Amino acid sequence: MNFAHLHLLLNHFPIIGTIVGLGLFLISFFGKNDDLRRGSLIVFAAVALLTIPTFLSGFGAQLMVKQKPGVSDAFIQRHEGAAMLSLWFMEATGALALIGLWQVHRISRPATWNVSAVLLFSLVTVGLMARTGNTGGDIRHPEIRGSQQVAVTEGTVGSIVHAFEPTPDKFSESILGWWGGWWWAFIMVLHFIGLALLIGTMGALDIRILGFAKQLPIAPLHRFVPWAIVGLGINIVTGMLAFIGQPQNYIYNPAFWLKMLALLLLGLNAAAFYLTGIFDRVERLGAGEDAPMSAKLIAASSLFLCFAVLTLGRYIQPTGDSLRLGSN
Amino acid sequence: MAVPELFHTIEESGLSTWMRNSESVFGFYFILLFHTIGLSLLVGANAVVDLRILGVAADLPLKPLKRFFGIMWMGLGINVTTGILLLTAYPTKALTNPVFYVKLSFIALAVMTMQMINARVFADASLSEAAMIAKGKTMAKWSLVFWIGAITAGRLLSETYTYLTYGHHVAR
Repeated sequence: MNFAHLHLLLNHFPIIGTIVGLGLFLISFFGKNDDLRRGSLIVFAAVALLTIPTFLSGFGAQLMVKQKPGVSDAFIQRHEGAAMLSLWFMEATGALALIGLWQVHRISRPATWNVSAVLLFSLVTVGLMARTGNTGGDIRHPEIRGSQQVAVTEGTVGSIVHAFEPTPDKFSESILGWWGGWWWAFIMVLHFIGLALLIGTMGALDIRILGFAKQLPIAPLHRFVPWAIVGLGINIVTGMLAFIGQPQNYIYNPAFWLKMLALLLLGLNAAAFYLTGIFDRVERLGAGEDAPMSAKLIAASSLFLCFAVLTLGRYIQPTGDSLRLGSN
Repeated sequence: MAVPELFHTIEESGLSTWMRNSESVFGFYFILLFHTIGLSLLVGANAVVDLRILGVAADLPLKPLKRFFGIMWMGLGINVTTGILLLTAYPTKALTNPVFYVKLSFIALAVMTMQMINARVFADASLSEAAMIAKGKTMAKWSLVFWIGAITAGRLLSETYTYLTYGHHVAR
């Protein structure tokens, strides 16, 4: 297993996932199928989470293939720019999908503005993802390039999209260079505020389920969840910016990759909570009522994973680049 | 600026040297980890109580949140302990940096506010929920401001110091 392998393993999920999500979303308009719409929103949220490690592994894969004969840096740069643009649109689609799911929960269906926004953003994301896939394929598969050209050429649509894509090296440099060290400090300040918000609000729900401050009824306590998602959103954006600013600090770092794994497990844990009926049973609990064992297990693993993410994050700095996954 | 000789003495001590130089995962970064865990407990629990007073999750009964003050004090205890240890590892670095005193001031203000919310809003069990919120609103706003200030100043410490250890000046 190396980064190129990992990237190839992951990179079809964001592309096919957004297409599947958009398909389900479009079909849900016919016959007003609410379950299907909810399903499509869940797919978007899950794909948004999976897109993060896919994007990260691309940096490692890049370092591996860069020196190979027949690999042109221009093709890599184009793919990276396309990937950065799709990443932000995918994360925005995921965030909108989570807002939609919250509205489904609160008022039984997503608001009209949310449906339009998800439709718009997922359509754009599908287009950008297709381009990311194509430009990625061009790097190692000259047989699929338009004519047998060796230089990057763009069609009409391609050149329009390209105008909006960041130039990867310049983007990283500007993140790093802007404000000197202050930009880094500002990002980390936000990352820590997001951490306190996320752990505080999600932790409150977890410890109540485990039996602490049992006088709190669960349904109103659950109203803090959007604030947990705001904290998570702040931390995904600031975390990705920190990575893009200096990928070499993270790419060979075992603590960083374990942190990403713990983050994915946290997503799975949330899915187990909300999609298996456990949440529906817990939500009805009033003051003084005890949660079932299944809910307690999920709350405990949520707390454990939260502190695992925090611990691994703290150890990114001292562990440095002791991981050489990509060098074999 | 002359740096007091005392900092040097502390830095020469066995504990301080070990924390700075140890290759063990239980060295400096382990203490820093617990400082961050303490932060998440202290600020996290404060944020929940403040946000509730300010109208988030308005259907949630306020009184049982009194239990959260226990978590805050636990977080504060962890952070005072780990903070003193971190200060022992790098006394010159922290105490020659003005931002460090800004951080301590924010924490003092935040903890005072936290104690005032506890005493004026939660201690009197006969208060109605509406009365609790009326009393707590201003304090809850300032509490959030002070904690954000404390986190900001704390994070800035690693970007703003001018001495790493005694006699070791860092150009900025």
